[in-house]
Formats: sequence, structure tokens, C-alpha cells
Amino acid sequence: MPSSCSIRALWILNNLDAVVFSRKFPVVEKQWRAACKIINDTSNDEEEDTLKYSVYPFLPNDTELSSAFVERKKREGSLRGYGIRVNQSVKGSDSWVDDPITRHVISINVESKEERGENHLLWPLILHLRGSYVILVLPLVEPVHLKGYSKLCRKSDCGNAVGVDASLSSILLDVPSITGAFLVAHAIGDIIVGDVVEPEVVVNAAPSVGGLLDSLTGSIGIAGISSRAKPVAAPVASATPSGTASIGTVTADTPKLGSRPLDKDTLRNFISSAMPFGTPLDLNHSNISAIKANGFSSSDLPPADLKQPAWKPYLFKGKQRILFTIHETIHAAMYDREEISDTISVSGQINCRAELEGLPDVSLPLTGLNKAHVEVLSFHPCAQVPEHGADKQAVMFSPPLGNFVLVRYQANCGHGPPIKGFYQLSMVSEDEGAFLFKLHLMEGYKAPLTMEFCTVTMPFPRRRVVSFDGTPSVGAVLNTEYSIEWKIIASGRSLSGKSVEATFPGTVRFAPWQIQRLPSSNSGFGKMGDEDSDVEIDSTNNMANVEEFLMEKMSKDLPPVDLEEPFCWQAYSYAKVSFRIAGASLSGMSIDPKSVSIYPAVKAPVEFSSQVTSGDYILWNTLGKCPSAAMAQEFHTSILEKYKHHFSLGRFCLKIGVKNEGILVEELFNGQLLTFCNFEKGGLSDSEGGDWYLPPKSIAGAKALFQALYIW
Amino acid sequence: MNPPDKPSQPPPLKPLSPQDWESLLDDFQQGDPLHHKWTAPHRLQSLLDHAFTSLLKKDFPSKLALLLFLEEFSETFFTHETHLNRLLESLRSVIQSPLDGLAITYNLKEQFMVSTTSIFITVNALEKFHARFVEGLVELLVLVINRPNHSMDRQTRAIACECLRELEKCWPCLLSNMAGHLWSLCQNERTHACQSYLLLFTNVVFNIVNTKLNVSILNTSVPLVPFSVPQWVLLGGEGSKEVVVGLNYKELRRAMAFLLESLQVLTPSGMMEFLGMVMPVALALELQASMLKVQFFGMIYSFDPLLCHVVLMMYFQFLDAFDGQEGEIVTRLMLISKETQHYLVFRLLALHWLLGLLSKLMFSGEVGKYKSIFELGLRFYPAVFDSLALKSLKLDLLAFYSICLDMLKLESYSGEEVGIGKSAAKLFEDGLVSVSAFKWLPPWSTETAVAFRAFHKFLIGASSHSDSDPSTTRTLMDSTIFHTLQGMLVDLTLQFQRLVPVIVSYIDRLLGCQKHCWLGERLLQTVDEFLLPKVKIDYKLSSYLPIFDRIAEDKTIPPGGLLDLLLKFMVFLVEKHGPDTGLKSWSLGSKVLGICRTMLMHHHSSRLFLGLSHLLAFTCLYFPDLEVRDNARIYLRMLICIPGLKLRDILNLGEQLLGISPSSHSSSFFNVHSPRQHYQHFKKSRNISSYIHIERIIPLLVKQSWSLSLLPLGDGSAKAGYLESIRDREPQVDLRDLDGSENLEIAPETERIYQPQEPLRVMDSKISEILEILRRHFSFIPDFRHMPGLKVRISCHLRFESEPFNHIWGDNSPTSQLDGEDALPAIYATVLKFSSPAPYGSIPSYRIPFLLGEPPRNGDISSQTVSLDIVPVENGAREEESFRAPVTIDLEPQEPTPGLVDVSIEANAENGRIIHGQLQSITVGIEDMFLKAIVPSDIAEDAIPAYYSQLFNALWEACGAPSNIGRETFQLKGHKGVAAISGTRSVKLLEVPAGSLIRATEQYLAPFVVSVIGEPLVNMVKDGGIIRDIIWKDSTADSLLGSSTSVTPGLERGPLHLTYGEDEDESGSSINFSKRNMGCFLVLIFLPPRFHLLFQIEVSDLSTLVRIRTDYWPCLAYVDDYLEALFLA
Repeated sequence: MPSSCSIRALWILNNLDAVVFSRKFPVVEKQWRAACKIINDTSNDEEEDTLKYSVYPFLPNDTELSSAFVERKKREGSLRGYGIRVNQSVKGSDSWVDDPITRHVISINVESKEERGENHLLWPLILHLRGSYVILVLPLVEPVHLKGYSKLCRKSDCGNAVGVDASLSSILLDVPSITGAFLVAHAIGDIIVGDVVEPEVVVNAAPSVGGLLDSLTGSIGIAGISSRAKPVAAPVASATPSGTASIGTVTADTPKLGSRPLDKDTLRNFISSAMPFGTPLDLNHSNISAIKANGFSSSDLPPADLKQPAWKPYLFKGKQRILFTIHETIHAAMYDREEISDTISVSGQINCRAELEGLPDVSLPLTGLNKAHVEVLSFHPCAQVPEHGADKQAVMFSPPLGNFVLVRYQANCGHGPPIKGFYQLSMVSEDEGAFLFKLHLMEGYKAPLTMEFCTVTMPFPRRRVVSFDGTPSVGAVLNTEYSIEWKIIASGRSLSGKSVEATFPGTVRFAPWQIQRLPSSNSGFGKMGDEDSDVEIDSTNNMANVEEFLMEKMSKDLPPVDLEEPFCWQAYSYAKVSFRIAGASLSGMSIDPKSVSIYPAVKAPVEFSSQVTSGDYILWNTLGKCPSAAMAQEFHTSILEKYKHHFSLGRFCLKIGVKNEGILVEELFNGQLLTFCNFEKGGLSDSEGGDWYLPPKSIAGAKALFQALYIW
Repeated sequence: MNPPDKPSQPPPLKPLSPQDWESLLDDFQQGDPLHHKWTAPHRLQSLLDHAFTSLLKKDFPSKLALLLFLEEFSETFFTHETHLNRLLESLRSVIQSPLDGLAITYNLKEQFMVSTTSIFITVNALEKFHARFVEGLVELLVLVINRPNHSMDRQTRAIACECLRELEKCWPCLLSNMAGHLWSLCQNERTHACQSYLLLFTNVVFNIVNTKLNVSILNTSVPLVPFSVPQWVLLGGEGSKEVVVGLNYKELRRAMAFLLESLQVLTPSGMMEFLGMVMPVALALELQASMLKVQFFGMIYSFDPLLCHVVLMMYFQFLDAFDGQEGEIVTRLMLISKETQHYLVFRLLALHWLLGLLSKLMFSGEVGKYKSIFELGLRFYPAVFDSLALKSLKLDLLAFYSICLDMLKLESYSGEEVGIGKSAAKLFEDGLVSVSAFKWLPPWSTETAVAFRAFHKFLIGASSHSDSDPSTTRTLMDSTIFHTLQGMLVDLTLQFQRLVPVIVSYIDRLLGCQKHCWLGERLLQTVDEFLLPKVKIDYKLSSYLPIFDRIAEDKTIPPGGLLDLLLKFMVFLVEKHGPDTGLKSWSLGSKVLGICRTMLMHHHSSRLFLGLSHLLAFTCLYFPDLEVRDNARIYLRMLICIPGLKLRDILNLGEQLLGISPSSHSSSFFNVHSPRQHYQHFKKSRNISSYIHIERIIPLLVKQSWSLSLLPLGDGSAKAGYLESIRDREPQVDLRDLDGSENLEIAPETERIYQPQEPLRVMDSKISEILEILRRHFSFIPDFRHMPGLKVRISCHLRFESEPFNHIWGDNSPTSQLDGEDALPAIYATVLKFSSPAPYGSIPSYRIPFLLGEPPRNGDISSQTVSLDIVPVENGAREEESFRAPVTIDLEPQEPTPGLVDVSIEANAENGRIIHGQLQSITVGIEDMFLKAIVPSDIAEDAIPAYYSQLFNALWEACGAPSNIGRETFQLKGHKGVAAISGTRSVKLLEVPAGSLIRATEQYLAPFVVSVIGEPLVNMVKDGGIIRDIIWKDSTADSLLGSSTSVTPGLERGPLHLTYGEDEDESGSSINFSKRNMGCFLVLIFLPPRFHLLFQIEVSDLSTLVRIRTDYWPCLAYVDDYLEALFLA
């Protein structure tokens, strides 16, 4: 049997754990049974025998599945489970395997009435939460893999070592159907919540351009289609920061309440086209719903000489143009500390909408790839990436219809942080804190970079804000129950071409601290120790520092966070900055509309826009605790230490080290590696062929370095 | 179809409304028992009828759902040819009917095709039914697809292709005959449906290659319709072999070239399917893998996870072709995990792939080759905003790299530096920064869990659980990472007390692992070694108690250090105790005791004894809390009295009874048990005296079978009055039976009933001297009515037989599988209670904390003892001892009379049951009453013999004749009671040789001998050394006589001298014997509470005359027996 991504069954459960939709694929199930028969017939091994029954040609009905799922939820403490082996983990459960992925690839034990109450391990079940629904997808794997997993979760040892042969990793590597099933689960998730969002493409004139159907109906000229297929969402309002598709990770995985009833017909239609027999053929919901809604007319002629790709069932007809939008999201952790360097990173994507007739190829030179110090570059499947894809200066692609993400990248912030400065909060008493902001906005930023709005939020999720006092140098302040918001730049009063310095000293008063009981359902990792009051707090009386005391007190009843969170947000005090910058990308990535070429040549205007929004842009309280991470460093630290003080100018730092033939200079900017330079004796040569890039402010430092190197 | 039994069945189903269908479908889906009402055969039949009718109806709304329903439950419905036929006909009519946009849509056609195909496959139509059905289906589908580039129905054609593909998948090579047609269709189709055509053709090619079928894929001579199932498919596996002559490589390669050109039309899912088939084909056709690589490798740069995975699959399929590409793949996978735009799960998957890939590379044995790849990983640290799941997987990766670095170091013989000076420890420290909040967040935080997970991964490193090779263990022990982590752990423990429970549960996790429990032990040892000296003794120490408990459990750690610390802690608690800390003292004290208990359970008592007994003793003496003190005392007793293993069993038993399994550490620890457990398992204890024995250590000389009981009429006056009441079970008869030769005179002065009266005082100097001595003597005799009387101690021992005991009391106690001594049953907390009808006062009960049963007295014992390495001969006696508990019965006789002491026992069996019952009674003989006379405290040590001698003489005189001292009364100690002496005399002739007499005397009466008179006798006795510290009188027979006369005549001279006939005889005989007299023993026996028994044993060669005097005449009865037993036996 060739490896494929078939699916045995899928279930959708509502928030009451009842199955509201299920679909089994008998054809795939037949393959599973055949495989089971083979393995059960051949394995006569005594040792294997105990596991024989874990491979069973059996699918639970909806009731059995839902009760098994509830059982697992009980066993694993929450919907997703512990993920990591904790005290409560029992042998045979997912968390026993001790791997975070078991929060996504789960197993359940189905008790079958027909089979004398025996328990059957059902694995791998892809667990995807969307809206208030739970989507479970059961891909077809080989019985060997099921056995492998069942061994893993029943081993009585202390947990797998990394890199051993029979690990979960090697199973996941061997089973592409799990990967496929995730894609199916996500596609279905999008359908049931009804917000299939196409990537946003911004045109300078109009805020956004609609999706596939817009172009379809526009081009085909079916004016009278009133019943649009539901799932195609309205274009995202431009005021909402960050295209939904660009940061879908965390938020999409957490269930939210309140959702519309399940549209079973849409689902059935989707499944019958996308995977009629359980093997996915195309999971692009826009395409499928368009086909279902519109069908094809005799005027839809296939291209004369080329094959029309399966992912482009319709061809565009009409006025041709091509639109690009660069979306960037900035994540930053600003510490303002000596010992921890700030990190700032950009995750960006180029969204595209190619309204081009026929099946043309488009070549798009990516200017600024070097400048942007792009670390990751990945492409839409329609892009043709040469075998050696490392140094792509241009990307060639054959665009699908509608809006799509052409390129995704991770890069460094080439411009330096758009907002820098510090935030200090210090508790002067148990219920009163004094804070101070000192921020520089858009320092060194020139037109056309425009900051459209900027808001700083101080969240206090665990303390109710009673009042605050203080006036900022710029902007307005308002407080909600659990936060204080400082609108430095209100929307509509954009900031362009100049930098702003903003300060905000003030005090905030909180309601008296109240012990917050852990909600029992939320205690993901449970209590490890006892709640013994003997473990003393008798040092409280003489604890000099109010802050420490408070910290101690508040961190005591912090609930554990989900593994999907980066850290326990509530444990820290910080300010979050949200802003949007238009005009250019911050990474340096850009598109030159003139150099976009289309084959066969056609005259089509190319439009380009870019916008930058903030992701997690965090100013950590300089006086408090903060999460951080170590940077990978590859150089001899002794030498680094020697020169470090020379070159720590602001956030700029040069680190040097010695390698075989010459001297390596590592330029670190906010902790991110920017470039390598290779000093041969007697001169400077650029080893990577990249730009030797130094922000003007630190040139003096760089000179000092060069001199130092020369002497050395 | 089975003719349904019409009469019994309900009327046929009414036409079902759409709503009915909906609920019906739901019932089936839910697996509701309700649906069984539908599954009766006739029901199914009519249900199916309805279904088909509904499907063909114009206005039936939920046709799709109905089709899916039939598809899913096809095995229930389609059991007969007619069903299939009906299905096929319906499909035909649907496909051939023109679209009307309402009833007949492309959607319906498509789903109908799909469902029909699915049903055919599921019910195994080709094997179970006639081939014409499948042929019919294939024909229908082929007709649909055979219109390439037709505009309207392109999606339908695509679906039809998929249907055909499923059929081909199910019955390989079904369509091989039409491969040529398919190829040309494939080439022609230019709409988006071409993917399905491609896949169909690929599948056919794949199956041909796979089954090595020799068919031409160019041949289009066979018409598409009518279709017939190829012979080789019908015949199955065997038939196909005959057809096989080899592959048509040329044609197939051409087909492959065509297929590989059309890749860009495929969707990612389609690509997955396609590659799944193409790769094996390429292998079989020996195509150049580089061709595939050129075509597909670019997909790794796609952000579609499936495409990346496809490349990975290909990589493993064609390792050689991708040689040198590993670096790129690895980098790419790393970068995918960094792509924040992805769903988290794909980033996690990428890391898993990476781990899987790297471990495959590592195990390929060419680690050196991939050095650069491994170095890449060193830059791969968790980032701040990575979710914790990602962080933990990245930490895994770092752990993995640390292993690789080790391996590289081992391999790099050139001494070349690897990893740019990075050590595993550094990697760990760097990695841990990302979750360093675990140090101050509450212990249940996710950060903590992640940190300790990483800790684990780094710690166990490369040692897998599967290998049994101990070398990894050793290398692990020596590794720097291990040392670093150990140190770190201790530091963590010291710095952050809140982490202690976490550390404990981590150590538990290691301890619970067969392979790595030594790691846990090692960690505990480290903690013991480094933490204990550093902890401060204050209340915060309490947070360390859980880890101490683990240390206490570990046998490899000498408990001394911990005991010291705990003792200090106890001292601290005692010192700090105040009004505010009462509860705390109690709680902490109990916890410390809990640890002591753990130690008792896990260590050999000998190892613990010193330290633990100090600790416990201190606690029970000084600890402020009563309960703690109490418990400490009990533990202390247990420690002292109960041998180790049994003790452990008891403590274990306690745990089990409390419903706490011993292993659930964290919970059991804080559940401090009181050592006292009361179990109300009573079991009738019958006949326990048959296997629990209490026996005298020194058996009585006389098996006393009767006793003389005189009930005292004492009314608190000085003299005890005797009521004549002789209870004689076997009276004198017995005596007579015993010996005929005796001439015992009993002079029961029954007529003399003493009444309190004014004593008559007749004094001469001699008598007053005697009186003086007697007064003094009596003044030291305690008056038992007012003060503790004199005690008579009877030594016994208690033992019981294992086998009958087990039989009755044993259950499947945990000891049953133990060997040797440990297998023996034991009784605990035994209390022996005594009672007696004889006037022995109240007899204190006796307690035995622990007693092992006697091993069975058969051959087993030897084997058991051998297994215990006890040499039976030498240690026999001692071993015996261990099965016997000494018991002493303290009697406080109010009369020196023999009697029976009834013994009742109360004890606990091991399983907590209470043994309760009566044991054999202990016989108390007269000799038990024999005490030495009390020596006044002012008599010097060396004057004692003289004192005794004087006392003897005085008493002899006093008892000689009642008149001798008149009615003199003597004050007892305490000056409240007075006693009078009324003597009685008796003689006994024993015909025993002197030698044996002397021996018997030495053996039994030595302590009581006050004087030996007569040289021959002295000579014989003095050297024996047994009789010592007495007055030796070396006088000749004359002097002996003189001495005796010096006493006797004086007495005879007394004014109240009475001469009895017997007495005359006696003197005569004594004169007769005197010639052969060797000498005589003077024996003074004190009979509690205040009586005396005096012997003057005149030893001759062949016979011996014993003159007896006593002031307690009833004893003569027993004395007679006694003497006979003593000397004649």
C-alpha cells in the first residue's frame, strides 16, 4: 500500500462533548481492516501478543466515541491534556508519553459493547479545537505505528530519552497521514466556524480587495449570484491589526464560546469533493465552494495548450492587474537591562492577488532580502523553487486565483525598534504602584514610514485598578477595570517623518489583594506538593521589600498556563505596545513593481503596499521579573568579554571572535545576528557577500573595534 | 431475499418523511440501541426500498445524507445481489438523467458515484458477487470520464476518476487493460480535473509495476466498453503469477516521464498521493533518483507542511541521491519551527521530524559525516515568545545535540575540537533560561514541568530503556552533564524550598524506572551528601521533609547523617516550643516521626539503632506534644523489641490497612501514622494452649498434684489464724503409694489454735539471746498487708509452634514468601495474665512485645537454617532462645503453699488479629517458696555466714518446742503486725548414699545451707566450691554432736520441754548413726511471707537423717515429697 494521507473517520463534537457530526470512510476502513488482519495473523510473537488487541479493526459509534473522549478528558485533566508527564499522569495515557504533541495527537480508549467490554486504543486522533467545537480526525496509519504508540504510552519507565529509535518522533516522521489529517482538521475547522479568511491584500485606494468569489463573479459576470457560499468571509476591516491569517497560531487553537450552529450540508459538500473516499484531494475550501456554488459553464474553456492546475479550477477573465501587500508583525521583548539584550523580530508575508488571464508565470524579484537579513523564507506551493533554494533573489510563481500568501519570512528589524524606551513599575505599598514610561517613537524613521496609531497597555489581570494618577507628555490615558491604556497616537493622527519622545509618570491604585482560588478545572498540572502551611512564611514580617513580598504573595496562586503559551503572562508586569506602521516594511523587504515580470508578457499594472503591525511588543517592567531566553553564541566567550565594553553602545553591540583564518566579527543587534564579516589580515572582506551594515550611531564604536582588531 | 414471515411482522413501513430519515440516520450514527429496531431483515429490506425511492424522488431534500448513510452502513444493507443490482440501476438512472438543477445535480451524481463505489468496495462486490456488477459500475464510470475537456461536468469527471481509482486500489490491476486509454485521456484532459486523471493513471501504473504485470500501457486496441474484469484480477494472487513475464520497462519509463512533467497541476494533497505511488515505481523501474530530486526537492521550501513531509519521505526513500542535502533539510526543518505564521502544531511536528531525522542519522553510524549538521543545532535555542510546547521540544533537541556532541567527541580521534567548546552542561543552562521562571513560580506551573522535563532528558541522555548494556550507565555516571545536573539539583533544593516536592516527584519518577532507578538513588545520595550539611535548622527545614523521607527510604544511604539532622531539628523544635507553636510542633514532630517510621521500614534496625534510638528517646522524653511523645515511645519500643523484618511488615501492614499503597509517596508521607493500630478481628481462640506453651524453666522436682489450702482467718491482727481445712485431692494415699520406706511424722498441732493472747514471757539469757536474734530477724520481714511483700519469682518461658499457629491464624500474610526465620509467624504485644486460687496475692501480668514461632520440628528446619547460614550445632541453644520469650511470674505468697497459676494470653497475630485464650496453668511447687532469709542491712558482708548460723540456731530453738520461746511475738517490719512462732518438728530418713545426697544438696539447696559441720563432710563439700560463704565447722563427730547437743540439750533443758516418743526414737537413731556420721548440713529456708523451714541433714554413708523444723507446719506435707524427690529420684 503506498503511503497516503487517508482518513478513516472524523467527528465533530460540541462543547457538551456530544457528537454533532461524524463521517466514516468505509473504503479506508477496509484498508485498515486488511492491514490489521495481516498483522494479527503474522504476529505470533509472545511478547507481541499482549498488544495484539490494540490493533483492532473497529471504529466506535458516536456514543462510544463521545464517552471515550470524555473519559480521556477526565484522565488528562483538560480537553487537550497535560501534554507533559506530570504527577497525575497514568500509565497508558497520553501524558505518560511526555510529549507536548500529545495535546494535538491524542489517543482514546474505546470501550466496545460488542467486544466484551474490551478497550481499544484509538490513535492517532487529531484534536483540533475551533470555535466551540472539537474536531477529531482519525488518519489511517499502519498497525505497526499504532503498536509503537501503544508501547510508548504503556512503558513503565521514566520517560523516553531523546533520539531513541522507537520514539514518538520517528513515528511522526514515518506517518505523513498525521500531517495530512491536521490539514484536514484545520480546513474543516475553518468551515464550521465560517471564517475562511483569505489573506488580506491592501490596495492603496480601497482598503482591501475581496476574495476569490469576488474575482470570480466579477470576471465570469454572473451578476445574479445572490447566495454566496457562506464560508467566504467579508474582507477584514482595515482597522483590525494584523491579518488574521498571518498570526493564526495561538489564538486559533483556543476554543471560544458562542458560535453558529453547524452547517452540516456545507460540510458534507466539502468532504464529498475534497476527500470523497477519505483521501484528501484538495483542501482549498474557496475553490471547492466556488465549484459547488457555480459549477462550470460551457464558456469555461480549458486553456489551449496547458493543463489547468487542480488548484486553479477557474481562470481569470477581465482587467488584469497584480497586487502585492507586505504584512509584517513585529514581536519584541524590550528589557532595558544590561544583562539581557532586547530581542526584536519580524514575521512577515507577501500577500498577492494576481488578476491575470490564462496561466501566466510571474517573476518577482525580492529586493532587500539581504538587507532584511531574512532568516526563514518559505513559499506558496505554486512557487517554483529551484533545487537549491538558498539564495533566492527572485521567485517565480504561477499564481492561483484570489488572494494568497506568496512568501512568508522571518527577519530582523532593519530599522531598529519603532518604539524603544523603558517601563518601570514599582510598588510603593501593597496596593499602590508608581510607574514611569519613557519612550521614543519612530526614532530614525523617515517618511514614508507612518505610524498610524500607537497604544500602550498596562494589563493587571489579577488586580483591579481603582484609580490612577498622572499625565503623559503625549496622548491620552484611560483605565479599564484591569488595565491602563495610554493612547500615544490616536488613530487618525498618524505620525510620520519625525520621532516623538513620550513620557508618562504616574501612580496606580489597586483594590486590596484578594487570594484567588485556582479554578479547579484549570489546574492543568495539579498540585505537586501539599498545601502545607508549615512551609513557612514567617519571613514575611521582616521582608524588607514590599515588592518581593507582593511578588511572593501573588505568584503563590498562579494557575499553570497552557503549553501553548510562551510563559505565564500573569506572573510578570509589563506593558504591551500596539501600533501600526504603514509606508514600508520594517525588515527592509520590499517589492519593486517595475521589476515584476509576467510570462507570457502582458501589460498589467502592479501595485504594492505594505503595513506593519505589532504582535507581542512587550516592554518588560525594568524593576520586575521578566522572561528571557539565551542567545546562541558561537564564539569564544573569553574574547568577547574582552571587547564587549567597548562596543556596547545603546542596543548595539559587536562581538568578535577568532576563527581559523581570520577574525570574525559578529554584529549583534538587539541580540540578533546581523552579519558576519571576515577580516583577513590587512583588510576587510565581506565573507557572505552581504552588505556591511552599521547603523550610523554606532560607527564610532565600529571604528574603535577595527582599530582594536588591527592592534590585536 | 429471505421471504419475510409476513404474518408476524408489523405492517410495512410507511413512507418516511425527511424528518423521519433524519432521526433514523441519527439513531444509526449514535449507535443507539434504538437502531436495532431497524435491523430486522424485513425492516432492512423495506428501509432500503424506501431509501432508493427517496433518492430518485424529485423533491427529497437530504439525498446526500441518505447516500452517505447507505455508504456507511453498506454491510448491513447490501447483502444480496438484488440490492447491488438495484443500486447500480439507480446510479445508472441518476447519471444518465439530464440535469434539472433541482433533483438531479452534479452534486448528486458525484455523491451517487462515490457512494456506489464505496459500497461496492466495502461489501467486496468482486469476491462475493458476480463480476458483472463491478463491470457494470466500471463501465458507467468509464463512460463518464471518457469525455475529456468537456466543460460542464469536469468536476464530475474528476470524481468519476477518483471512483475508478478507488476500485483500482481495491482490486489492483482491475483497470490495467485500459491503461492505454487512460493515458491518452490523461494527456488530453486540460481542465482542473486533470489531477484526478493523472492520479488514476498513476495508480494503474503503480499497480502494474507492483504486481509485475506484463501489459502494454500503450495499447488502446481493446475498447473501453464493454469492460470485463481481467483474468488475473479474478484469479487473485495465484493466477496473476502465470501472467507475469516481466515489466515492460520502456513503456513504463515513458509513462513516468510523462507523469513527472505534469507535476505543477497537483494540489499538495494530490502531490502526496502522487508521490506515494511514484516513488515505489521509480525504485522498481530503477529510475535515477536525482530526477525525482530535481522535481520535488524544491517543495521543502513550501510552507505547506504536507509538501515538506513528502520531501522527507522521499529523502528516506532515496538516501543516496540526497547525500549532502541533509544540512539543507535540517536547516529547513529548524526554520519551519521558527515560522510564527504556522499553526503551532506544525511547528511542533517540524521539530519532531527533525528529531526523528537526526536520530536516524545518528544511528546510521556515520556520525562524523554529519558533524556540520549537528553543529547547526547549537544555534537552535528556544526563543522568548516560543510557546512552552515549542520550548520543551527545542530543549529536547538541545539534549539530543548534547548527546551528539558526546558521540562526536568520542569519534574525533584527531583531537579536533568539536562544538566550539560547547558542553552539554552549557547547552542545558542556556536552554533552561527560557523557562527559568520555574524557580519562583509555584511548583505546579507549566514552566516547572517543562524545566524538569528537560532536566530529565539531559540527565538520562542517550541511555534508552531498551538496552541492557550497563556500560551506558557507567558513562552516564561519569559524564559531566550528570555531575552538573546533580550539583544543580542540590542548589535548587537549597535555594528554592518550594521546588522540593517537584524534585521529590522527579526522583520518584526515576526511582520508579527499572533502568534508571540508580540515577534516582544517586541523586538522593548527592542530596544526602551535600544538602544535609548545608541546611539551616529552622522552621523552614520542614519543607525538606519530603526529600528526607525519600532519603530515609533509600537503603544505599547510611541513615546516620539524616538522623543527626533530624535530631537537631527535634532539639530545635523542643527549644522553640512556645504557646504559638503548639500546632506546628505537633505537625513537624509527627512528620519527623513519619520519617523515622520510613527508616524503620526500609533499613536494618541495626544500622539505625543508635541514631534512631537517640532521636526517639529524646523525643519521648522532651518533646512538648503528648501525641508525638507517645508515638515516639511506641516506635522506640518497636525498634528495641521487634526484629527488623517483622517490624517492617507491621509498618507496611499499617499502611495497607489505611488504604494507602506504600508507593504513593507524596500522599503517604504526610499521613503520619500512629503506630498503634487496633483491628477488631476477633477470632475464636480455642485450644490455643495446644500450640502456645508456657513452661517453667526449672521444672519442679515434685510434680505436685495436690495442694493444701488453708484459708486465712486473719482479721488484721498480728497473727495469722489458720482454719483447718485441708483440701486434698489425692490425699495421703498418694504418699503411701509413693514410698513405703518413709517414716514421716506429721505433727499436725491441730489442736493448737492460736488466739491473740498475752504472750507468756519466760526468759533466760539463752532464750533472750534467741529472742533478740529473732526479733531482729522478724523486724526485717515485711508485713505484706501493709507493704509490698516478699516476692517469689518463677521463671518460665513462652513459646509457640509455627505450624499449628499458621494453620489457625495465618493468612496470606506478606511473610509467606520469605525464607527461613522470616517465614515464621510471630505474635506481638503479648500480655500474659495470671490468676491463682492459691493465696499468691495479685500477680502482675507480663508483657512480651514480640515472639517468633518455633520452626516446625521436621526436616525443613535444617534446610531453613542452612539457608540462613546458621550453623545449627553451635547456635542451637541460642537459636532456641530466640523462639522462647522469658516470662517471670511474681508471686507474693501470703502462705508458702504450692498451687496452680492460671495463665491467660492476649496477643496480636501479624495480620492484626487478636489472640485471646487460656494457656496451661503453671504449677507452683513448695521449692518455689524457698527464699534465703533476709539479712539485715547493717550486717557486714563477711558477717553474713555467722548471722545465718546464729539465725538458724535461734530458729531451730524457737521451732523446737512451742514452749521454748513461749508465746513470744515478734514485730514485723513496719511495726504494725506481729508474728509468733509455733514450731513443728519432723524427721525423715533417706536411704541414699552420701555422695548423691551431697550432690543433690549442692544442686538444689546450696543457697540455703548456712553451715556444714563435721570434717568428713566439710572436706567433701568445701572443695566443690558450690557451697560457699558459710560457717564451716571442722569439728569431729563429737564436736559435731557437741555442737548439736549444745543446741539441742539446751532446748531440751528448757522448761517447756516435751518429749515425744518419736523424738526418742529419733535421738536413738541419731546416736546409732552417729558412728557413721560424716557431718551435717544446716539448712535455713525462708518461706514467705514470714515462715521458716529448717533442715538439719545428718549425712551418713548410706542413709541420711533429715531433721525438719518449721514454724509453718502445713509445709511439712510438701517437704516430705520434696525431699524424696530431691534425694531419692
